[in-house]
Amino acid sequence: FMKYFNMLTGNKVITKEELSTVLQDFKNHLIKKNVALDIAEKLVDSIGASLVGKKLSTFQGINSIIKQNMEEVITRILTPKKNIDILREIQNVKGKRPYTIVFSGVNGVGKSTNLAKICYWLTANGNKVMMAACDTFRSGAVEQLKTHAERLGCELYERGYGQDAANIAGDAIEYARSTQHDVVLIDTTGRMQHNEPLMKALSKLVNQNNVDLVLFVGEALVGNDGVDQLTTFSKSLSLLANTTSQNVRTIDGIILTKFDTIDDKVGAAISMVYSTGHPILFLGTGQNYTDLKRMNVKSVVKSLLS
Amino acid sequence: MVLSELGNKISSALAVMNNTTIVNEETINQLLKEIGNALSLADVQMSLIIQMRKNIMAKIKLDQLAAGLNKRKLIKRVVYEELIKLVDPGVPAWKPTKGKPNVIMFVGLQGAGKTTSVTKLAYFYKRKGWSTALICADTFRAGAFIQLQQNATKAKIPFYGSEDEKDPVAVAKKGVDIFKKEGAEIIIVDTSGRHKQDAELFAEMKQVEQAVKPDNVIFVMDSSIGQAAYDQATAFKSSVGVGSVIITKMDGHSKGGGALSAVAATKCPIIFIGTGEHIPDLDLFNAEGFISKLLGMGDMPAMMQM
Ligand SMILES: Nc1nc2c(ncn2[C@@H]2O[C@H](COP(=O)(O)OP(=O)(O)OP(=O)(O)O)[C@@H](O)[C@H]2O)c(=O)[nH]1
Ligand SMILES: Nc1nc2c(ncn2[C@@H]2O[C@H](COP(=O)(O)OP(=O)(O)OP(=O)(O)O)[C@@H](O)[C@H]2O)c(=O)[nH]1
Ligand SMILES: [Mg+2]
Ligand SMILES: [Mg+2]
Repeated sequence: FMKYFNMLTGNKVITKEELSTVLQDFKNHLIKKNVALDIAEKLVDSIGASLVGKKLSTFQGINSIIKQNMEEVITRILTPKKNIDILREIQNVKGKRPYTIVFSGVNGVGKSTNLAKICYWLTANGNKVMMAACDTFRSGAVEQLKTHAERLGCELYERGYGQDAANIAGDAIEYARSTQHDVVLIDTTGRMQHNEPLMKALSKLVNQNNVDLVLFVGEALVGNDGVDQLTTFSKSLSLLANTTSQNVRTIDGIILTKFDTIDDKVGAAISMVYSTGHPILFLGTGQNYTDLKRMNVKSVVKSLLS
Repeated sequence: MVLSELGNKISSALAVMNNTTIVNEETINQLLKEIGNALSLADVQMSLIIQMRKNIMAKIKLDQLAAGLNKRKLIKRVVYEELIKLVDPGVPAWKPTKGKPNVIMFVGLQGAGKTTSVTKLAYFYKRKGWSTALICADTFRAGAFIQLQQNATKAKIPFYGSEDEKDPVAVAKKGVDIFKKEGAEIIIVDTSGRHKQDAELFAEMKQVEQAVKPDNVIFVMDSSIGQAAYDQATAFKSSVGVGSVIITKMDGHSKGGGALSAVAATKCPIIFIGTGEHIPDLDLFNAEGFISKLLGMGDMPAMMQM
């Protein structure tokens, strides 16, 4: 990648033309790293705009300037503006009521598996955790969760298939309250983001039960569709919102899964956070319970620019 | 329609060509740039786009020398041909033989849609009068066997699997032996999701292949996948004898280009696309129809005659 930047150096003013070739190559580099096309364009444009007319010193070529700029911009993007401390939030309501977390996303991204990983993590941190099987559609979904619950030694609330997920979630929360659980992890059916009836059903589940945290589970493998998935899920949460409720409900945070399958093509992380500002709370890095990591912004930026 | 946005972009780029008075190197370059952008937005691998642009350029120049053809028509035809080449590797798809056991093994990344698609495919053949059977050789994923069992039961297709046996090779072998003896014609083996970074999982896949000696291996890929598609597909192809591809979740909003890149990697034909979560949601794939529709050109084959 650095080879592109050795072309333009020296003690002179950067012109638009000089910049554009370098930036075009840079854009292609970002796309190869799986950054969404329009996000790659926006990133490159903003960096371009900040550089036109700038003077270069003999010691600082355009290559290092752009790289440094990019590094700063991407680090800023990936560093969460509002941090969500789940353990603290649970602590705040402990003893009064169960804290509720919903796992949402399109089909097959890893909602149920990463719910189980979160269960493992919360339990290890001294919480009494319950799972709620609210995917009442996909074959084997209830049994999948039951297996995880048994292995992790936690309770599962389930009522089989075919019933209204929002109501089951409500009953699960009630049950958790009566059994002094600290946390309820609510699994949901995978759905395509433009399937309106299914998105309404998700909105109903979230609003009717006034859940504490809505997580969007997306996979790091996803291409240009990822941003649309996330923004549409976020918007859709208010489809059936309480008209009296003041604040509009959006996605609170992201779990980016299958991070172990993409080598250094880390672009989905940048695309998702850039376009919504929602923080990536965890990376899924495998199929075992311990494969849940905090995102290391430095190493993601390094992969992206390598 | 799926991919329509990409189609619109390419069509309008082509339409502009109809109106420009002069067709020269510059207008062609502009057109190719726009098509390249549209393909990139659809997650088609950057190197494939660059190759395609080169091919188109070369073809246009050659043909121009050959005859004084209408340039615009010529360009359209060349673009069409190159797009077809992207989805159609030009090898005939494997076909099962009546009256003998045909063993088909499914492989792919985690959550791609294998387990859903094995039942869809068995159901497709069953409706055509073949005797079919399903085997669950995924002994890893929680609830995998029950998922297949519930689907197979719904579709009334015989199935084999075990909740206790932990060795996928043993289960696969036993299931195939049983159904061969029973005279099933289509015997489909479902396997665990896996990725190239995990050598152990890939070794296991090879062992299953050796044990069941499939007549065809089908690689299943999610249509929303981005730039990691090519590398993953290449790894599967070089590890087991992949012969066909199924692209799933085409009812979503993605443009499927990442998955199309996988076709380039495997050099195997797409035989079906998955268009929903229900058992009949499987459509036969036809490259020419697909691209014609994509470009909104019903009469493309006729145009090829000129
Ligand atoms: N390599 C890898 N695989 C993962 C990761 N997270 C989940 N998976 C796998 O992805 C597949 C799908 O996971 P699920 O948890 O069933 O996904 P889901 O979103 O609940 O799927 P649906 O409920 O069918 O929509 C399983 O094979 C998981 O083991 C991860 O971080 N890395
Ligand atoms: N909308 C839609 N969903 C699909 C399609 N094919 C599969 N799915 C869904 O995708 C999710 C994952 O499908 P599975 O069949 O479990 O995927 P898999 O490849 O067997 O997953 P692993 O065994 O964990 O690797 C499920 O929620 C399916 O219902 C499709 O064509 N359209
Ligand atoms: Mg699930
Ligand atoms: Mg499966």
